[in-house]
Amino acid sequence: MEFSELIRTRQAQAELLSGPEAPALRGTLCVTGHHLLLSPKPQATDLWLLLLRSVDSIEKRVAGDSGTITLRCKDLRVLQLRIEGVEATLDVARSIEALSSLESVITSYPFFYRPKGLRLGDAWHFHPLESYYKRVALETDAWRLSEVNEDFSLCPSYPRVVIVPRAVDDAALARSARFRQGGRFPVLSYHHARSGTALLRSSQPLIGPKKLRCAEDEELLGAVLAGARPGAQGFIVDTRSAQTAKQARMTGGGTESKAAYPGWKRLHRPLERGRHLQESFVRLVEACGDLEQSMDQWLSRLDSCRWLAHVQEALSTACLAAQGMEREGACVLVHGAEGMDSTLLVTSLAQLILDPLSRTMAGFQELVEREWIQAGHPFQLRCAHSAFSHARSKHEAPTFLLFLDCVWQLGRQFPLSLEFGEGLLLALFEHAYASPFGTFLCNSEKERCLCEVRTQTHSLWSGLNQSKEQRKLRNPLYVLNPSALWPSVEPQSLRLWQGLFLRQTRPPERSEEVWEKVWQIVTDEKTEDSRPVVSAPEPQP
Amino acid sequence: MASAPNSKYNTRSLENESFKRASRDGVNRDLGEAVPRLPGETRITDKEVIYICPFNGPIKGRVYITNYRLYLRSLEMDSAPILDVPLGVISRIEKMGGATSRGENSYGLDITCKDMRNLRFALKQEGHSRRDMFEILTRYAFPLAHSLPIFAFLNEERFNMDGWMVYNPVEEYRRQGLPNHHWRITFINKCYELCDTYPALLVVPFRATDEDLKRVATFRSRNRIPVLSWIHPENKTVIVRCSQPLVGMSGKRNKDDEKYLDVIRETNRQISKLTIYDARPNVNAVANKATGGGYESDDAYHNTELFFLDIHNIHVMRESLKKVKDIVYPNVEESHWLSSLESTHWLEHIKLVLTGAIQVADKVSSGKSSVLVHCSDGWDRTAQLTSLAMLMLDSFYRSIEGFEILVQKEWISFGHKFASRIGHGDKNHADADRSPIFLQFIDCVWQMSKQFPTAFEFNERFLITILDHLYSCRFGTFLYNCESARERQKVTERTVSLWSLINSNKDTFRNPFYTKEINRVLYPVASMRHLELWVNYYIRWNPRIKQQQPNPVEQRYMELLALRDEYIKRLEELQLTNSAKLSDSSTSPSSPSQMLPHVQTHF
Repeated sequence: MEFSELIRTRQAQAELLSGPEAPALRGTLCVTGHHLLLSPKPQATDLWLLLLRSVDSIEKRVAGDSGTITLRCKDLRVLQLRIEGVEATLDVARSIEALSSLESVITSYPFFYRPKGLRLGDAWHFHPLESYYKRVALETDAWRLSEVNEDFSLCPSYPRVVIVPRAVDDAALARSARFRQGGRFPVLSYHHARSGTALLRSSQPLIGPKKLRCAEDEELLGAVLAGARPGAQGFIVDTRSAQTAKQARMTGGGTESKAAYPGWKRLHRPLERGRHLQESFVRLVEACGDLEQSMDQWLSRLDSCRWLAHVQEALSTACLAAQGMEREGACVLVHGAEGMDSTLLVTSLAQLILDPLSRTMAGFQELVEREWIQAGHPFQLRCAHSAFSHARSKHEAPTFLLFLDCVWQLGRQFPLSLEFGEGLLLALFEHAYASPFGTFLCNSEKERCLCEVRTQTHSLWSGLNQSKEQRKLRNPLYVLNPSALWPSVEPQSLRLWQGLFLRQTRPPERSEEVWEKVWQIVTDEKTEDSRPVVSAPEPQP
Repeated sequence: MASAPNSKYNTRSLENESFKRASRDGVNRDLGEAVPRLPGETRITDKEVIYICPFNGPIKGRVYITNYRLYLRSLEMDSAPILDVPLGVISRIEKMGGATSRGENSYGLDITCKDMRNLRFALKQEGHSRRDMFEILTRYAFPLAHSLPIFAFLNEERFNMDGWMVYNPVEEYRRQGLPNHHWRITFINKCYELCDTYPALLVVPFRATDEDLKRVATFRSRNRIPVLSWIHPENKTVIVRCSQPLVGMSGKRNKDDEKYLDVIRETNRQISKLTIYDARPNVNAVANKATGGGYESDDAYHNTELFFLDIHNIHVMRESLKKVKDIVYPNVEESHWLSSLESTHWLEHIKLVLTGAIQVADKVSSGKSSVLVHCSDGWDRTAQLTSLAMLMLDSFYRSIEGFEILVQKEWISFGHKFASRIGHGDKNHADADRSPIFLQFIDCVWQMSKQFPTAFEFNERFLITILDHLYSCRFGTFLYNCESARERQKVTERTVSLWSLINSNKDTFRNPFYTKEINRVLYPVASMRHLELWVNYYIRWNPRIKQQQPNPVEQRYMELLALRDEYIKRLEELQLTNSAKLSDSSTSPSSPSQMLPHVQTHF
């Protein structure tokens, strides 16, 4: 397909307003296949560049012989373009509309992006699952790496390799996969060495109205307990209410019965997902952007958005799972229905709470790669649109954003214990929704294979791990905290993530500036020179 | 979890943390002794009680009462103290239950504190066992009613630094460049005859004679005439404070007052109008006419512009804080927390105070106008506005000593009625004069420090320590209503200053991220979106709100402080060698300090 067919106009004179206090930028506006460019002077080098894919909604208005286009971006920024000429305005708007909503993956920008200083394939030899397995193998021999899903036939949303109980063979896995929605049989998410227990995740069992059972699935969970600390019991954290889980039987799903899984006990912790979560996000962004409304009612409006309630529920469910392992010495299996959304939210947060390594820069990147990207969170569907788009499909949900917000809350409560800072979380949010890198493309490893994402695009991790990015992303105050982080989940302890949700209303002192000052104090610790140098760690092979 | 699958995730294991924190200050502790004692503190009694902890349930312990504090040690647990409460924070002591009340722990005492908590003790029902504890507590918590001295007068602590030396008005005005051609220092109030609630030393327009001042005083509520609080070092516009004019129902005028305001305006040539900020809501200002007060009308005061700042009075603030306590103690409101917080209006009041101060600061900083601030008497809202505006305008006040000077000057010396607002040693808990005006000011400062994490030399603990000793009566700093009363009582001779404690332990109160920037005006965002409840103060007694043991964080911050000192020392050395090199070559145009814009931190 030719982008040129979609580009109605190549150039226009325009003025860009990117915020209430940012100075206006005037110049020539260009629309290209993937970008909107504004160059202040004919040969200026300081181009303003916007990835068209990051436009969430577009609004045009014409008056007299000029027009205004308001671009609401997926990263929650709002931009205004004043364009000379009515025709030009309409043409630019139509071009942006068409180009920003292209769905084809292989013509997307990551397949064209070739930044200086990076080589294709650099960070793609980053195999978090294998490297994580090496770590588990040092702690216990109860688990093995299985290539049963090598061709994605068992489970299209799982990666090629998964970590499973050593006592269960591939044939049994195949049968367990048939008993789980989407083939997502229970796999290891995290091994907690201190207590000798394991955190697993899966999708719901296909019990259905006839109360089916699957011997291999039962055997698999039995093997988990047998391989854990002697006498360990198991908890199944179902992220749906007991009633919803029961109702799921009507459509072929359901939840584990006590009788079929001895030693396992079920807990229901309903988490909001899908459309409701998306609506909460939309309401919150609306409230944050609404500068007209009387500020007297801000708090109750924030309350009614329910976003912080979702943060609280997610964090406390993760705490519950982590507590089950650390304090009760139990194995924990987490699932909801499909096991690709709230399930991942709970397992990844539980690991951050328990595992000091996952709180390092490299460890957190591995966690995101392993527990979200390779675990088959359908990023392309969930992050197709952000909070502004009117074109709602039913698949969008800010689950990953909710995860990032929970991590931000942890970082706020434990200011020294995360090696990365708000900068990394903001970057992940932005790149999940629109990115020049290939990391968040597609919905699963299978799709990424088909599109040759690994060979044809650059990895976000190699982009982020360049030394010039480090100061923005790292926490200057970090010191390794070997213990578990038990956050306070009372509503009084949770805050609105201002750095993200209020990015349009300029904060009094930008956190980057504060960060920079702190860096100046801290880096003197490590360097003799008063100009700090930060070396980037290599991603783990 | 196994036993109670319905129980929510809980943070019980962290709950002990808050107890340990309560007992950390500069007290020398004799291990052999059951109670830590300050020099001058004497033990009165002790008794076995059950402390009904709202978070951990009943705890058996022994309560020790001295003439300064109430101290509780558990009988069962290790030696960690459970409570260490200065008697000064007690606002009310009630008996709960009677000799015949049924039910466990229904007979005892309920103590309401000024610092957002209540303490409940259960005692044995037989033999009026609570009577002597009630009497002793009442006597030492409310010494004024029993002709006993406030503890500050018995305190024999000694510190390396003398906090009473921190504020010297002449020096502070000299720092501001005063006196100058337009402003003079007057001793007219030396014996507090012009105005008994003002300090002895005042700065007034050069062109106003002492006779003028006396005539103006007759037209201002409680003689609180307009005097200078702060002058802008460059544009020379000023912040002037006073009380309301005595206009009354008949709309009285006073030529001298009108002329005096014009003289203030004329100290600055370029100014055509003097801006008056009346802190009150418009209707309140009008209502005040009925009691003889009022505001400056356009027709009487020609070259002025009057704005109302809509800040409510002390009664509204007191009720608002009461509502905050209702939703945070003992149990925090969980469902619809934000909506209940909104219904207290506390943050809304904070917003209005900050907004007013921003307007004052902006006006002065722009150089467009000098500003006159008043409310009714000019000792509550006025003090909030002038001191906050000065904090925004003048980076000196953002240092530890600078802030002490600011409090000492705008609050203590200018007669904020601490004794009445706090009720030191006074048993009348329902006194309508009590109000958390100073707390509200400190909250505003905290909001600013949240928004500008590198702009203040002091940390959160500094602010909390100030608030704790606002009530504790350990120091003389906040005693009495005005300077004349303090002088009569010889407070500086007979008591210790809070600043002695703080300045002798400065490192504890330092913000490791402080970066001194001269001439930077701070405009906080006073939007509700950017204000938050000061959880670490208002909900500090609730262990569920605690996240992490404070110690590692504090330890790391101390390390950072040390690092920063090291860094600055090395920088200075670098600058020295650089300037040596520069003077050798004497060609480079840039001074070393210009090369390092962010790091001009100093000590």
